[in-house]
Parts: sequence; structure tokens; C-alpha cells
Amino acid sequence: MNVHRAWDVCARELKLSPRSPLVFFAIAMPLLITFLVSSVFGSLFDVSPELAIVDLGDSVVTAAAVELEGIETTVITDASTLRQRVEEHDFDAGIVLPAGFDADVAAGGHPDLEFYVSGESLASTRIILAVTTLELVRGVEGSDPSVTVIVTPVGDQDFVPISDRFLPLMVIYAVMVAAMFLPAASLVDERENRTLDAVLVTPTRMSEVLVGKGAYAVALAVILGIVTLALNGALAGQPLTMTLILFVGSVMLMLMGLALGLWARDITTMYTAIKAGGIIIFLPVIFTLFPGLPQWIPKLVPTYYFLQPIYDVAIHGHTFMDVVPELLVAVAICAALVPLVAWVARRSEHQLAMTV
Amino acid sequence: MTGSRIAAIIGKDLREFSRNRFFVFITLLVLVAYVAVFWFLPDSVDETVRIGVSNSVLSTDVGGVTESGTAGFALEIYASEEELQTAVEEGRDGIVAGIAFPPDFFESAAAGETPTVRLLIPAGLPPEIQLLLEGAVSEIAFGVAGVAPPVDPITEAVVLGTDRAGNQISLREQMLPMILIMVLMVETFALSSLIAVEVQQRTVVAILATPVRIVDFLAAKGIFGVGLALSEVVLLGLLIGAFAVNAPAVFVILLLGAVLVTGFGMIAGSYGRDFMGTLLVSMLFMIPLMIPAFGALFPGSSPTWVKVLPTYGLVEALIDVTADGESWSQIAPSLLLLAAWGLAAFAAGAFILKRRVATL
Repeated sequence: MNVHRAWDVCARELKLSPRSPLVFFAIAMPLLITFLVSSVFGSLFDVSPELAIVDLGDSVVTAAAVELEGIETTVITDASTLRQRVEEHDFDAGIVLPAGFDADVAAGGHPDLEFYVSGESLASTRIILAVTTLELVRGVEGSDPSVTVIVTPVGDQDFVPISDRFLPLMVIYAVMVAAMFLPAASLVDERENRTLDAVLVTPTRMSEVLVGKGAYAVALAVILGIVTLALNGALAGQPLTMTLILFVGSVMLMLMGLALGLWARDITTMYTAIKAGGIIIFLPVIFTLFPGLPQWIPKLVPTYYFLQPIYDVAIHGHTFMDVVPELLVAVAICAALVPLVAWVARRSEHQLAMTV
Repeated sequence: MTGSRIAAIIGKDLREFSRNRFFVFITLLVLVAYVAVFWFLPDSVDETVRIGVSNSVLSTDVGGVTESGTAGFALEIYASEEELQTAVEEGRDGIVAGIAFPPDFFESAAAGETPTVRLLIPAGLPPEIQLLLEGAVSEIAFGVAGVAPPVDPITEAVVLGTDRAGNQISLREQMLPMILIMVLMVETFALSSLIAVEVQQRTVVAILATPVRIVDFLAAKGIFGVGLALSEVVLLGLLIGAFAVNAPAVFVILLLGAVLVTGFGMIAGSYGRDFMGTLLVSMLFMIPLMIPAFGALFPGSSPTWVKVLPTYGLVEALIDVTADGESWSQIAPSLLLLAAWGLAAFAAGAFILKRRVATL
């Protein structure tokens, strides 16, 4: 194989990339997914009870409620808006504190407290907000319960918040589009437009075309993977380790992409195959999101062996040596894919020769 | 415009679509996957916080908290603190945390002493649950001391809107409109691909060289697009039980949804220069069109900018019928909005495609 010719193919891919919608797609997708996960899906699963307060008398309850951790408190100016927004479930509950509320409570009175709950709020959320409201009012009353409460952490403290568990999803998107979709689409496109035939009548061989396209895809995927990790603050101070893991993962997906691009007879078939096979590639992501599911299942999927090391380094603070076993499996999978790609390439070359 | 010419073009499109057996197989496979995912989703909402309690000190109603718990708050009693700690660590019986009362809690509290209560908190416990536990312990202590609460938000709460306590909309029900809309969106791409190929390969020019007029061509593409999207989404709807309530209304909503996505499919197909270009243009439409469906997963009303998106009426009408069982008159505003967007998108799609064909 001639390295110069492979480099020429790679340089041609680079030169054509600004015109390719797929490259735009590959670059925009990690940014979009990062935005969606951080702003939308993170809050979908980490929903805190939401309390609205109308304070007609500058009560200390309002200030204390705003400071509460775990409850989103919003101050609203009028009671009718509060009732309307609670009814629409913009808030789980709302309280209206009348003027002179604090003084009345401090004097031992039982003032009227309008406490509204949304019909759509969960029963557990209602009780949390009711008990919390009661405790805030107890604070105004100035009485302390005669009990000492000690908080004791128990069990495995290695808990991963849901927002962190989305990390593999973002990484797989960044890497898959660039490493797998890009070379596959490029090969199919070249075969459909017969430009691959034109290239192969020159001294350039199929292996050099594949190496050139693959190198470009891997380089782009690694860069996008690093950018995605950096955007999410997940480089964990180990950029070299992350780069190496991303490199292995990108090579794995690139080899799958080349095999797919050589096998698919047209772009629709390729797109459909990715649509169907995507669930297998994404399987480890689902199991990271839901750790209660049996964790042996994702180990049957090749992408697990680079997604898990990234997750372990970024979230659990593992070092390179800790993730070597998984990474070795990933390298072995890459090695096993090479003969497959070579076989599909020979078959494809044969078909091209027959159609020229 | 003649029916036979339109039928001939539809027949050609149908043959072209079904010729790729792999594509048809995978389309069916994806449908099956959607159905499997749907039925895998939980069909109920657990709205109870389960707390473990050691030493059964709660044999009497104290501060509104009893052994049986209260709405949204259930108690599991364990014989000893060690047993409770093990249960919390293992998440046994669904408990999320524990309260370890000392065996002499009542005696100490009644004697004016200050007993110590341990809260057993696993990692990742939401802070609001800890607030609930601390509040519950505090109220029990107040109850023992005979200090009545100054206000009673637990029993005197006013429920606004339909009270869904015990009858919450499950994740499965929430996902139903989203799954249907996702299938409709994917069909946007399927139709746009067919149109793009027709434009790129200039077969449309060949077709228009026959007695077929442009209006026949546009009508055929529109009917084929609506038929393709509608048949797939109706099949999916049947498999996931979307027609269980007010089936005619659901059918009309899906029909208007199919008209809407067909319009966008014609626009995307007109602008796509090749497969990837068509995919990109389709994605540019699909992403904003999906937002109202995602928004439905969140509690509360949608922001104003979401309400102006074309699929907002589609999502609202679907949720109102399938989740809330609303009648024709109740969904009429959403339906009218959807119909207006559907007609506008279809007219825009037909106009743009006509102009694109004229340039060939």
C-alpha cells in the first residue's frame, strides 16, 4: 500500500468536506445533543418540586423557601396568576401569605394560609411541599422540636446523577456520525456517481481509498469526541487517555462504516441499515442511563468497550491502567473487523470490475 | 386533472417504494421496535415515597403520620436499626431512605428529654426527600409534645384542575403521541427522498412529456405522501392502542398530521440536491417539528414560541383525546389550528415543488 496515495485520498476528503452536508451534520450534532441534554433531558429526569409564593406581607417564609435546596421556588405578584399557573401545572403547589402572616404566627395565632396544589402533581410531591411549607411556618413560630436529627449516609456513595449518565449518549453521537456515517455515505456516494471507478483506474488501489477515507473519518471523530467531552467538562484531567480511547472507538466505528459503505448497494439501503442497526450501537447508552437493568447485556455489544472506559474515566475517575482490559477487547474487535472490511472490499472491487 | 393519470403515478411510486425489499423490511422492523418500546414503558406512576422506620414507635397517630403513612408517603416498619440500614442499602421493599427512632423515643420525648433520631440517607437521595424526612420527624416530635401546627397545608390544600392523584398519566400514555409523531416525521423524509430522486433523475420531465399535467403530478405526490404516512401511523396506532378512545377523532388528527408532514416532505424533496442534502433539509424541518412532542413530556403549559410551531395543534389534540378523553368540541381549537397548518404546509409544498419542476 502506498501511503502517499492514501494521504491524497484523505486530503481530497478534507478538501470536499466544506461542501458536504454530512460534515456539517457531524459537526452540528454534538453541539445540538449537548444543548438538548443539558437544557432539556437533564431536567426531564431530575424534576424538583416547584412551589410558587404570593407574599402580601414580606414574610420570612418566602426568603427561607427561596433558599431551600431541592425545591424550586418562584415568587409571583398576584394570587389569581398563581392559581392559574398552578392549575396549568406550571407549579406543583402555590401558597398565598397574607399581610401580617408572620406577626400572627409569632403571636401563637392560626392565620389563614391559602395552599393550592395542582391536580396533576404527584401525591408524593404534594406531601413534600405541604410538610416543607409547614416546617417553614414552624420557623416563623420560633418553636423547635425537642429532637436531635443526625443524618447518616448509608450504602454505596458512588452515585452518578442522571445528567452525567447522558455522557455516553453524547459521545456516541459525536463519534458515530463522523466515524461511521461519513465514510459509509462517502463510499456509497462515490459508487453511485461512479467516481470510485474513476479513482480505481488510476494507480490508486481500493485499500488506499479505504485508508484515506478512514483516516479522515477517525481524525474528525476524535476531534469531535474531544470537543464533546470538553463541552461537558468530562475530560477528567486526562486528555491523552481520552484521546486514545476515542481513537480506538473511532477506528472501530470507522471499520463498521467502511464495511457498510462497501456492502450497501445505494444510499437508501445504507441509511435504512443504520436506522435498524442503530439500536445495537446505542444499546450501552440505554444501560448506562438505567443502571438497574442487567449490566451484562451491553457487554455483548462492541461499542460498550470504548464507551464504558470513557464513562469510567470521566465519571468514576479511573486511570488509563484501570480501563486497559476493556480497551484491549475494543482493539481485538477492531482487529477482527479488518478481515471483514478486506473481504467486503474485494467483493465490492469485483462487482465494480464487472460493471465497468 | 384526471383520476387515471394520478392513479398511474401513484402506482409507479408504490412500485418504486416496494421494490426495495430491504427498505420495506426495515420499515416494518422499525414499526415493530416502536411497538415493543411502547409496551415496555411503565403503564403506571408510582407517586408514593416509601420510607423505612425502625422500632415501631408509630402505633398511634402522631403529628399526622401513622404506621400506614399518608397519601404519597408510605412507611415500612423494621424490627431493628440494623435491619433498617440493610434494607436502605439494598433498596429493599422500594424504600428510599430510613428513619431510625430509638426504642425509648416516646418515653424520652414525653419526659421532656431530647431523643436522637438518625436519618439513613443513601447516596443520590433527592434533597426534597430529605426535607420531607426531617419535617416528618419534627412533626412527630411536636405531636408528642402536644404542639399543634399553626397552619395545616396537608389536609386543607385546595386542588386546582382535574385531580389526578392515584390516576396520573403514565410514561406510556405520555409517549404515545410522541411515538406517533416520530413515525410521521420519519415519513417526511421518506416522501422527500422519493421526490428528490424524481427531481434529480429528471423523471418528472419525462412524466410531464406525457399527457400528465403538473397538477396531476402534484396531486399524485400529495395523495401518495398522505397515504404512506397515514397507513404507517394508523398501523402503529392500532398496535399501541391509540384508537382505544374516540377512534374517529384520532383518525382525523392523524390524517391532518399526515397532510402536514406531506407538505414539509414536498418542500424538503424540492430543495434536496442529493440524498444527504435531502436528509439535511428534512432534519431541519424534523427537529423543530418534534419540539412540541418533547415538550408534552414536561409538566406545565408550553412556552408561547412552542405554540406557534406547526405540530403544536397535532400534539395537543392527540394528548387531549388519548390521555384526557376529550370530546370533538373540546379539541376543536387544536384541530382547527392543525388543519390550518396542514393546509398551509401542503399548499406551500405543492407551490415550491411546482416551481422546482418548472425550472427543470
